[in-house]
Amino acid sequence: MKKLDTTIYLDYAATTPVDPRVAERMAEFLTRDGVFANPSSMHAPGRAARAAVEKARADVASLINADSMEIVWTSGATESDNLALKGVAHFHRDQGRHIVTSKIEHKAVLDTCGQLEREGFEVTYLKPDRDGLIQPDAVAAAMRDDTVLVSIMHVNNEIGTANDIAAISAIVHARGALFHVDAAQSAGKLPIDVKAMHVDLLSLSGHKVYGPKGIGALYVRRQPRVNLEPIIHGGHHEAGMRSGTLATHQIVGMGEAYRIAREQLADEAPTLAALRERLWSALHAAIPVALMNGHPSQRVPSILNVSFPGIEGESLLFGCSGLAVSSGSACSAASAEPSYVLRALGRDDELAGSSLRFSLGRFTTADDVDAAAKIVIEEYERLKALALAG
Amino acid sequence: MTIYLDHNATTPLDARALEAMLPWLQGVQGNPSSVHRFGRAAHAALETARRQVAALVNVEPSQVVFTSGGTEADNLALKGVCRGQPDGQLLVSAIEHAAVQGPADALAASGWPVQRIPVDASGRVDVNALDRLCTQSTRLVSVMLANNETGVIEDIRALAECAHAHGALMHTDAVQAAGKMAVDFAALGVDLMTLSAHKLNGPRGVGALLVSKSVLLTPLVDGGGQEQGRRGGTENLASIVGFGKAAELACAELQQRIPAMCALRERFENGLRALPGIQVFAQDAERLPNTVQIGVQGFDGEAVVMELDKRGIAVSSGSACHSGSGRPSHVLKAMGLDDATARGAVRVSFGTENTPADVDSLLNALTVITHANRGAVAWA
Amino acid sequence: MALIPAGLLLEHFRAPRNSGVFPPDTPSVLEGRAGASRHGREITVQLQLAADGRIAACRYRVYGDPATIALCSLASEALQGLTLDEAAAWRGMALAGQLELPAEKRGAVLVLEDAVRAAVRSYNRQHRPNEADLERGRT
Repeated sequence: MKKLDTTIYLDYAATTPVDPRVAERMAEFLTRDGVFANPSSMHAPGRAARAAVEKARADVASLINADSMEIVWTSGATESDNLALKGVAHFHRDQGRHIVTSKIEHKAVLDTCGQLEREGFEVTYLKPDRDGLIQPDAVAAAMRDDTVLVSIMHVNNEIGTANDIAAISAIVHARGALFHVDAAQSAGKLPIDVKAMHVDLLSLSGHKVYGPKGIGALYVRRQPRVNLEPIIHGGHHEAGMRSGTLATHQIVGMGEAYRIAREQLADEAPTLAALRERLWSALHAAIPVALMNGHPSQRVPSILNVSFPGIEGESLLFGCSGLAVSSGSACSAASAEPSYVLRALGRDDELAGSSLRFSLGRFTTADDVDAAAKIVIEEYERLKALALAG
Repeated sequence: MTIYLDHNATTPLDARALEAMLPWLQGVQGNPSSVHRFGRAAHAALETARRQVAALVNVEPSQVVFTSGGTEADNLALKGVCRGQPDGQLLVSAIEHAAVQGPADALAASGWPVQRIPVDASGRVDVNALDRLCTQSTRLVSVMLANNETGVIEDIRALAECAHAHGALMHTDAVQAAGKMAVDFAALGVDLMTLSAHKLNGPRGVGALLVSKSVLLTPLVDGGGQEQGRRGGTENLASIVGFGKAAELACAELQQRIPAMCALRERFENGLRALPGIQVFAQDAERLPNTVQIGVQGFDGEAVVMELDKRGIAVSSGSACHSGSGRPSHVLKAMGLDDATARGAVRVSFGTENTPADVDSLLNALTVITHANRGAVAWA
Repeated sequence: MALIPAGLLLEHFRAPRNSGVFPPDTPSVLEGRAGASRHGREITVQLQLAADGRIAACRYRVYGDPATIALCSLASEALQGLTLDEAAAWRGMALAGQLELPAEKRGAVLVLEDAVRAAVRSYNRQHRPNEADLERGRT
């Protein structure tokens, strides 16, 4: 694995490095002597590209126990979330205009809900419990006769807690609504079985699973069939659900990434959980006031979110030079606003602001974790001394 | 090795664009929204690509909205402009790509009056027809800069003036034109323009909508605030970098590429004169230097495509998006051609890597097919 | 927007000058505080007076973002040699300019100026009651 200088990368939840095996496979579809044709073309190069696209579709389907036909390619999980929410809401607008989601969804879901509200839909935003979980009871209480869709993430991107999807889906389906799950942070990290979990729509990302950026997928259940209004029309690609020339190299990259994820899931999960525990132990031993955010056990193995009381968050984040981590999600890291997820968990502004998200991955070593802990502890102590000197 | 003559469907990635992409395809690469050094490096690469794409069509970098491709950019232009307004009328030409027809139909289904602007027998959109169709409630006019099937170049400047005179915005799909002719956003007088990377030797899966500063767009994809809130989602960085490089190369090499492609086109069209029963569509219109759409009398275009494919030559019967549909081209129908003639269409589109020998191979193959197989592959 | 520290800002954030407080028995030390950690910034300034009444040295405690820390560091040098009246009238915007702080980060300057004025006021309350009255009249 090539490393850029000595910076320790613990921001896998923002984006993962592309697995070298994935990059190699993608290169075959990028060069002139490779398979570069348009998969919609009838000629031999076009057919070769189409075969590669279908192989990748099967690989992605297989990780979540879906059928190939149920996978729709998109430009990423954000588009998948948009397609699921707007697609269902617009198609079923005559059956009902109420949507249930949570306050701690990714911005791709929250901003889409905001747009749907402007269009006249009503959205209920569920508050998580103190551990960051969406309780099935809370979903049940929010359901109405005119609820058409419930969208709850599998794993939260900031704190890593994992919701009980099967339990929520039972409630949603008992009330006759459709259920969408954003699985961008769980695919490849926790087992997903769309059939066992009874999910209608599920968003997937390439670049969170060691695949390329700019490619994602939406699982759209076929039995019983889930109907969607597309957000991108023209050309009738992807069974009419999403138009646009397919980016073969991206699709092949995502397929290969998901194939590898399926192979390695069982081995990687315990390794990552052990590394996360090692990091938390080191931080907690040196900084006893540090608080771990999110449920202690019902969680993805790769994410650790810690609040550091008494320290200003931006200084902590920038002070930890040599360490690439996030305060909150990458998408909101550029704003100085405290994390809306941690706020929803009941943390005050100051504490929410002084939190770091460490996210570990396939190429993280015990040495990385130890060095990261050392950097954070030293910076914590330096800033603490500046604030409390004397 | 296939002789590839289907560049209007997609082009091979330029080796120099691939080289620019490779560092972003492997190893630790940041999310452009992250503030740490990986994220910052990614952000800088994103902005370089934005400047390169802007320079290709003479706009400010801030006017570039990266999308997942030309289709999304066309959808964003049409739905983005129209959905932000309570009502109004949309005008699109009769020869638009499916990426414009699709969102126009979707808008029509949601209650927007949509009308098609007719073209003349040479495939040119008539300014007078546009003027007659425009009303006070016309919000947007969308006409492609160059047609993907015939290669006909439209007089966008005149059409834009007409649209503006009626208070409407002007969008042009320049997907086929960019990289094959000089394109200047300001000189054309348009408000929105669509580009696609993979039609100008960049990677697939990335495009851009160029937007005048005064135009308000309702996003298609919400979430995350990227692209100044006009298009959410983590940026497709490697592809965007490849797009930037391809745009830079197209800009720098345009003056060499145009005469080279013109020479191939001329060689092909001269050679065709020796073949009876073949006509070049829209021959007297101003066309892209790389595109020749022919009609092979008495043949089904798709059958000719398959025959050429067997001989290792890749061409198409029209738009790749409609391949295999069996429907005659809507472009040729709009030009007034009958179904039989339209079904005989074969599109040849040259690219930067083609040689005169490729043209000769194509001519030889066409000679063999039309002589030996006349009757065998005829559709009727 | 978070500001990515670079240049002078980074230098003073990484290695702030004159940080900390004077030993408890140091004579002629004035102290002023402003801001609140729950609002993101809290600064305590200590000014040590020389025999001629001018500021001989400056110390501070700071809770805040990199911009706030770097400002305190720069100010601890800029305030040296000023009289108390000059310190009360001192404005930190020039330092914000040196650090190239964007508008949304310049609130830190106001908190810092408040802390300096609070230190001067503590002197006035003990030694210059007339000035203290004037200050009250002004506010």
